[in-house]
Amino acid sequence: MATGCKMPQPDIAGLRARGRWPPPEGPRAAIVGSRRPSPYGEAVAEQLSADLAAAGVVVVSGLALGIDAAAHRGALNGGGTTIAVMGTGVDIVYPAAHSALAEQIVAGGGALVSQFPDGTLPRRHNFPARNLTMAALSDVVVVVEAAEGSGALITAAAALELGKDVMAVPGSVFSSLSVGTHGLIRDGAALVQNARDVLAALDVSREVLDDPLRPPRRVGFELGRSRDGIVRHLSDTLALSAAEIARKLQLPIAEVVGRLTSLELEGAVRRHGAGYVRSLRREERRA
Amino acid sequence: MLATVDSCLLAGMEGRLVEVQADAANGETKFFLVGLAAASVKEARERVRSAIRNSGLQFPGRRLTVNLAPPEMRKEGSMLDLAIAVAILLAHVGKPAPPRSAFLGELALDGKLRHVDGVLVAARWLRSRGYERVFVPSADAEEAALVEGLEVIPGADLASVVRHVLGGTPILPQTTTAPSRHSVAGPEHDLGEIHGQEEARRALEIAAAGGHHVLMSGPPGAGKTMLARCLPGILPPLELEEALEVAQVRSLLGELPRDGPVDWVRPFRAPHHGVSMAGLIGGGSGLALPGEISRAHHGVLFLDELAEFQSSVLQALRQPLESGRVTITRSGGSVAYPSRFTLVAATNPCPCGWAGDTRRACRCSLAAVETYQRRLSGPLLDRIDLKVSVRRVPTGLLANEPLGEASAPVRERVIAARRRQLDRQGCLNAVLKPARLRRQAELDPASRRALERWAEQQGLSARGFHRAWRVARTAADLDDSDQIREQHVLEALGYRLQDAAA
Repeated sequence: MATGCKMPQPDIAGLRARGRWPPPEGPRAAIVGSRRPSPYGEAVAEQLSADLAAAGVVVVSGLALGIDAAAHRGALNGGGTTIAVMGTGVDIVYPAAHSALAEQIVAGGGALVSQFPDGTLPRRHNFPARNLTMAALSDVVVVVEAAEGSGALITAAAALELGKDVMAVPGSVFSSLSVGTHGLIRDGAALVQNARDVLAALDVSREVLDDPLRPPRRVGFELGRSRDGIVRHLSDTLALSAAEIARKLQLPIAEVVGRLTSLELEGAVRRHGAGYVRSLRREERRA
Repeated sequence: MLATVDSCLLAGMEGRLVEVQADAANGETKFFLVGLAAASVKEARERVRSAIRNSGLQFPGRRLTVNLAPPEMRKEGSMLDLAIAVAILLAHVGKPAPPRSAFLGELALDGKLRHVDGVLVAARWLRSRGYERVFVPSADAEEAALVEGLEVIPGADLASVVRHVLGGTPILPQTTTAPSRHSVAGPEHDLGEIHGQEEARRALEIAAAGGHHVLMSGPPGAGKTMLARCLPGILPPLELEEALEVAQVRSLLGELPRDGPVDWVRPFRAPHHGVSMAGLIGGGSGLALPGEISRAHHGVLFLDELAEFQSSVLQALRQPLESGRVTITRSGGSVAYPSRFTLVAATNPCPCGWAGDTRRACRCSLAAVETYQRRLSGPLLDRIDLKVSVRRVPTGLLANEPLGEASAPVRERVIAARRRQLDRQGCLNAVLKPARLRRQAELDPASRRALERWAEQQGLSARGFHRAWRVARTAADLDDSDQIREQHVLEALGYRLQDAAA
């Protein structure tokens, strides 16, 4: 993981920014991971990020597809500040599908920052350098789902080089997306089960995070309080197709497709590949 | 002496009248053929001369001039042979041609009449122009007799046609056999044989009912092709006029079977993804011939592996998808062919086919998936109303998935839903333009709210908005409902694919 070769020190002072920069005082955690996560990874990143943001942590990520986007979304939902470190000029959002997300980040008091001049288009070789900057900007790097050779591992390596903490969220041993994170844990990265693990590493003391008399809330889901009971038959982590749900509930497919769409509209479920998964706490998000 | 005999040539699905004027004058024995005849028509001189001699008739030893009018139209093919021969013989004996009659057919050197392509098209066109009688090769008589109100004289050879015309032994006209419907064969593939795939089945039912186009996305072996092949079986059988249009395209291509030229089953065409522009859209030298899209007229065009088709070929589908016909210009002029088909496209979600599958990991790089899906995006996809994921069920588990409803009851519902649409608006929902959609497919307040909320939240384009609206109208029609309700809109919004690579 630590490659041994000297990494160039990123130039933090020379960053170009859109939005509030420098960001508000406070600890910063980078949450990074696969661009094609499982529903599980996406859910973990979103929940973790929301909890950290709610606790006053600035969430740093890379505005990429997958875990990065989930981290930014989570931070916004948690009512916190988030910073997107871009591999393009700050005036060019890549992927373009994240333009709306980028605007929300700026509107939410966060910033889009880049070490590259305005107008820099996405170039493959720019992204590892961006990963270094992400590590340099953060006090701790949390990796959620990374396959072998993932860019998130570059960020983790850079963080080590810079003397920052590296933490990782474990995944299923059947998933290739766990290879990178489990490798990190094997090499000594701290295991993350919930936001408290990260807050502890950041030395954030919060008086009452959990009710000490009750078991700590797991990193997982709070069921959306949807009016439609069909949501209970969906999984947090495994995408189910409309056909499977219709069969399970003995309902006509037309009705199930309609009700799932309605739930999507509410934000209680979302698409993942050919199926649907439950999303977490989306209705609070819109408030 | 002068004789004028009518015939026609084809330009696409249209006929072009050709007047064959023959003049037999005294003078040196010569045979001139004038009137912008292409090489294939010039050769008629030799065929006609031999055919007349070998029919036991006398080729006039006079100065013959045959003019093909109008002279500015380029004439190609062998359809005029019979008319030229008859004109010469009539000019020689000084008799007029029978009124309101046309002659079609190619001559062999022994005087036999040979099959020509497109007789059905020519016969229908001649009938529409007020012709009452047409002489055709016996081989094509049954085809021509499909046209109502036209007397068809089947000619085995030149001699018998001439005898008939000159008042000798008459040939009995081909009896017009009203095309019977008893030949409706059961569908080759039945939905009842498919395990699971409820979403795709439902999408096909909606597609059949409203005339919508469908895209199925899923890994290899998921059953996309099988599902697509079931579509003709849930569509209503062809109406007479539709069946004749289908037969006309086949007639032009010389693909009409001799026995029972009318087929009531909707065509199903599945061109390979290597197909050329000319093969798909239509083409060829001179005047273009119909392509796969016209062969699929009133039926189903199935494009498997959509991303593998040349993008220029796919782009060329836009006009026909929009207008239901295609106009092709070649050196010989422009021709238009009908091409109102239901498009069923199938694709893998990524090069390896497993992106988005819960049971097997995708092995493509993200960039590869993006490139692949980008090939699918754009104007063609914009015209596809229904998009569904098809999941692959491992063979061992297939038996656990219930067998679905058979095609026959689905077809009943489709027919009823189509009738509702035709009674209400005279066309299928898929071709409703936004203005008519507003008039004829009113949304109730709840359904309007759902659609607008979705558009705002998910960034639906205007086109996407109307797509969902049209599909909702069809879902309501299948529900036997005059009003589009929220449930119909929500269902319609469900038939879309998740964005690239997510």
